[in-house]
Amino acid sequence: MTATLGYTQLRNVGTASKKLTAGLPPVTVILSFAVVLLVILWSLFPGFFTSFSPVTGDTASKLAAPSAAHWFGTDYLGRDQYARVVYGTASSVTSALVAVLIGLIVGSIIGLASGFRGGWLDSVLGRFVDVLLAIPGFLLAVVIVSSLGFQTINAAIATGVSAVAVFARLMRAEVMRVRSATYVEASYLEGGNRLHALLGHILPNAYRSVLVLAVLQFGTSILIIASLAFLGYGDPPPASDWGLLVASGKTYVTAPWLVYAPALVIVVTVLSVNRISRWLRKAK
Amino acid sequence: MTSDYKRFALTRAGQAVVVVLLAYVLTFLVISVLPGDAITNTLRDPQHGLSEEDIQRIVAFYGLDQPVIVQLLLSLGRFLTGELGFSLQSNLPVSQIVGDALPSTLTLATSALLIAIVFAVAIAYGAQYLPGKWAAIVRSIPSFFLSVPNFVIGLVLIEFFAFRLHSFTTTDPNSPVATLFAAVTLAIPVSAPLAEVLIASLDHESRQEYALVARSRGITEAKLFAKHLVKPSALPSVAMVALIVGELLGGSVITETIFGRDGIGTVVQKAVTGEDQPVLQAVVSLSAVVFVAVNLVADLASPLLDPRVKLREKVGA
Repeated sequence: MTATLGYTQLRNVGTASKKLTAGLPPVTVILSFAVVLLVILWSLFPGFFTSFSPVTGDTASKLAAPSAAHWFGTDYLGRDQYARVVYGTASSVTSALVAVLIGLIVGSIIGLASGFRGGWLDSVLGRFVDVLLAIPGFLLAVVIVSSLGFQTINAAIATGVSAVAVFARLMRAEVMRVRSATYVEASYLEGGNRLHALLGHILPNAYRSVLVLAVLQFGTSILIIASLAFLGYGDPPPASDWGLLVASGKTYVTAPWLVYAPALVIVVTVLSVNRISRWLRKAK
Repeated sequence: MTSDYKRFALTRAGQAVVVVLLAYVLTFLVISVLPGDAITNTLRDPQHGLSEEDIQRIVAFYGLDQPVIVQLLLSLGRFLTGELGFSLQSNLPVSQIVGDALPSTLTLATSALLIAIVFAVAIAYGAQYLPGKWAAIVRSIPSFFLSVPNFVIGLVLIEFFAFRLHSFTTTDPNSPVATLFAAVTLAIPVSAPLAEVLIASLDHESRQEYALVARSRGITEAKLFAKHLVKPSALPSVAMVALIVGELLGGSVITETIFGRDGIGTVVQKAVTGEDQPVLQAVVSLSAVVFVAVNLVADLASPLLDPRVKLREKVGA
């Protein structure tokens, strides 16, 4: 048994010293950054990555299997599936970004206000956050999007609202942690006001954990928005959001690549985003 | 029962009631953002086959010709007495629609929860006891599970087990095997956060002195895990129960759609497409009730399960 103990202890020491000496992030993290970069480029310059149109296809070559010409095969109208995925990136990824920004900004304001002011404001905002948490996130998003109308931007807003609570919680906790720190009290004693404490001490300290959460939430938002699009709550065809592509592909049982290609793109993207988030959290 | 615990329990219960009521109001407000015409459009949709009298009755029942605040108070008052109203699509009582759909979703969610717990314990055990390289792979499973959309898992399982291996048919979604695969679909994303918490607390517990002492007395690792580590490691996951219930409820919308099951998720989907506000309102507020109730039980149980939890801190939180 001592052997096991010795081994675990050694292993812990090993990873600790590796962290100190390693200059580059692990290979998987570098790969993840490469994936995210590619996805960003797809959404910015889709025309640069494919010469096919995402909207018009060649009906003569419909439901063709993946080949050198059509990497992800073609759909029932002969449209190149790879082109549809690439052109669908902008709305799939931008909407996730919008969702994170809504959650981040609204959530941070609520968290800051409640941690700073305390008292009755804290209780009121605290209950509000409890209420947001009490409604299952996906259901809340579904209700909001059904109320705003079936569009991708509304799906993004809905996803953002359902993320407000987690950001508010984290920001409040960060403010509480830093607020009572000796150096913040010292800055009050030196005549610093609340704004100074906020900008000079609290935000810089909270920034790291909020960033980790934002990256993680970005991955989650891609999944939620894809799920909403899958249910048909996003932009209607010929839009090609990733979730919508999976939904329309599943009708063609003989052409499984129509489902697997966009599904794989979603999984690899979210996996990369989550890997980056975990790396940021560890590097803290 | 100390008086401290009683006070803690009462405060918590009071907060829970307030949260449920506010969740109802919030849902109502979100749903009412819909322009007023949409409701009457839904009502007058010939597909639903409602007569003019039915329509007048529904408009009067919900006070649809009155300001939103009146509608809200009317609706909230009915909710408090357990009255959920009528579907705009079918004119059936919402309680009947929900009641009919509930058993199917309960079966699905309960099986999914059990499967998720088995997965999570297996992953945590593997992460702790498999040799180095394998343990690292097992440790990355939760992150992988969290990256795969629910609908992709479902479609892949159907493709392989229904279409290729013929283990079940999608035409009979309530057969035990079809239910099992639907439950696995729902369980995978739920098992991930559970496994992460278990792994972290197992790492922590196995470094504690009592574990060292037990090892020094020559206990086998398997016995140590089963007899000493499981219980304290599982405690932090009690706090996650409410989160998991939320995941199960939300995930059922997608899972039921894919597997063609008739449950709460399907009810939600139909209500959304048909702009059936009373049904949506009822399902969302009932989910909030379930979530808050489970949370309350977990909260009240945690000081009883673990005496180290301080009541004062929990009340203040």
